[in-house]
Amino acid sequence: MFKRGATKKAQIMALEDAVKTFVKDGSMVGFGGFTAMNRNPSAVAWQMVRQGIKDIHLMDRHGSYCSWVLNAVGALRVYETDWVGWGEMAGKLDVNLERMYKTGKTIIEDYSHGAMAMRFLAGAIGAPFIPYYAPQGSDLYNPKYDALGRAGMRDGKNPKIAKIKFQEMADPFFGLGNVMLLPAARLDVAVIHVAQCGDKGTARWRGIGTIDKEICFAADKVIVTCEELVPEAEMRKIPENNQIPYFVVDAIVECPWGGYPSAVPFYYDYDAPFMRGMDVASRNPEDLKKWVDEWVLQPKSWDDVMVKVGARRMLDLKADSTTGYSTRILRGKKPAPRMKMPLSVARSGY
Amino acid sequence: MAKTAEELMELIDKIPEEPAKPGEFILPELMAIQIAHQVRDDDIVFAGTGLPMVGIMTANMLNAPHALLIYEAGICDGKTMHVPMSVCDQRAANMSSTLGGLVDTFGFYLQQGFVSLGFLGGAAIDKYGGVNVTSIGDYWKPTHRFTGSGGNSDIGTMAKRVAYIILQEKRRFLERNEYTTTPGWWCWDFKKNEWKPKKEVWKGTPFADSGPEAVVTNMGVYKFDKNGEIYLESCHPGVTVAQVKENCGFDLNVKNMKGETKPPTYRELFVLREFVDAELIFLPQKVEYPASIQKLING
Repeated sequence: MFKRGATKKAQIMALEDAVKTFVKDGSMVGFGGFTAMNRNPSAVAWQMVRQGIKDIHLMDRHGSYCSWVLNAVGALRVYETDWVGWGEMAGKLDVNLERMYKTGKTIIEDYSHGAMAMRFLAGAIGAPFIPYYAPQGSDLYNPKYDALGRAGMRDGKNPKIAKIKFQEMADPFFGLGNVMLLPAARLDVAVIHVAQCGDKGTARWRGIGTIDKEICFAADKVIVTCEELVPEAEMRKIPENNQIPYFVVDAIVECPWGGYPSAVPFYYDYDAPFMRGMDVASRNPEDLKKWVDEWVLQPKSWDDVMVKVGARRMLDLKADSTTGYSTRILRGKKPAPRMKMPLSVARSGY
Repeated sequence: MAKTAEELMELIDKIPEEPAKPGEFILPELMAIQIAHQVRDDDIVFAGTGLPMVGIMTANMLNAPHALLIYEAGICDGKTMHVPMSVCDQRAANMSSTLGGLVDTFGFYLQQGFVSLGFLGGAAIDKYGGVNVTSIGDYWKPTHRFTGSGGNSDIGTMAKRVAYIILQEKRRFLERNEYTTTPGWWCWDFKKNEWKPKKEVWKGTPFADSGPEAVVTNMGVYKFDKNGEIYLESCHPGVTVAQVKENCGFDLNVKNMKGETKPPTYRELFVLREFVDAELIFLPQKVEYPASIQKLING
């Protein structure tokens, strides 16, 4: 069922076409990056909203700009995740998601962060399930709380939805107590945003990897958006710096600043004030509608969004080539001090 | 002229290690330093975003310079210069040993048993250190829905020692949580529908003896006894035992109280203010140093 056979041939596509081709109503989608702070494939989620795609089954490492903006227009039917926050210090809880959940419009299936990581690992390596010491005694593994089961979605009709949420089992090999068997996470579409992508599809990020490689291998279709589209030959000069081999990629989309308002290490920093503005807007449905209109529907392209953000902000967000983040942006009440060495290293070494 | 970071570093050993007096620090500063005190120099620490991160960074700059800090997005031994706003912030990845992803942090480090200290937040906690970060009220129709586990339930059960930072209120300190995200020393055995010690439920696993060790709140510091029950160890300056009991939803054991929580020292405050949160992100309220300390800083 999940065998892919021959290698794929990635197509270089416009953002609009990539979404139109690969994402459908009801698709099971996973986004890369980490919370709303690091390498969100924001432009793709933005385009999904513009195309009116609905009933998404989002299976993700946790909330982000992507989940936030899809939820803002009620496009999330199911959210299978471990953390329904999104912006951490700049908007911890997705207030609108809480609203949608309480009114029964969105189904949340709760797992934990480690559990989702292991599920995606299983999905990526072609294993049907994976044993993990997911916490016994946690209500996450209380048989009563199976949201997809309750919604009648574990009936086998969708081959990517497991028939049960988890299965507890005594370790049959070493006798090391009880362990949870967790179903592989499998996606219709994985979307990641990277620093560079070769024109054949080999992709590279800088900084943390989060779960991007796993979701790409766990998905039928993979969309890679990138800051820079470069000749494949450039990517082959230092192959150990690459993480995604071209043969799993379906669409390559060049999209500078496509991760905004999250950070793309060594390109730009996250925009905390912008995220705080999103958080404020989400507190009132009318304001949220206005926000969507202003930042999603009115701009004609992702470039337009960035033009609206403006040169001043983009200059401040531009990452230092040494640290990978911006030391110019004002994140708190005082500017960042310029430092040559972290204090712990200066005083005590490594 | 304002001093450079390097000039300020030179001053650290000159700032006295005397406890600061009431009014010279704010409560979140005291809490951050209390977190720092839980960290040992040989610890491998896995901490969540917010005050836990601020606290362990402070420890790494003072009492535990060789503690290895893991941040869940894939960072191993980050050496930060600027306080991260998230566990995935590139600032946390600065000068790290290796960068990976979630399979590295939750699999290779945590489930493999390397993590000796987990530091986490929580919305509510029970008498045995079980934590709720999911919802209040009926799970399906909650009055409040929080973010959910994130790494809380993984770290909170598989780190050898676990410490929590929680806002203390009657509705957050409970006999039993409405939803247990991260089990404490007692938890449900769902197969038998029995409430039991974690040691029995987790029997045979490598994590049967791992669990909560300390809780830091805005009112005091707590530890756990042999039975896994929480007890008050110290009250923060200006807080009485009666006030603590008023803000607790069960009959709290206060018999082992050792007195007042040690206030932060001037040196600790100096490091916290000038190096950990110099940008005033987590502790936005700027508090002045007493004149004698300010004189030392001005040189």
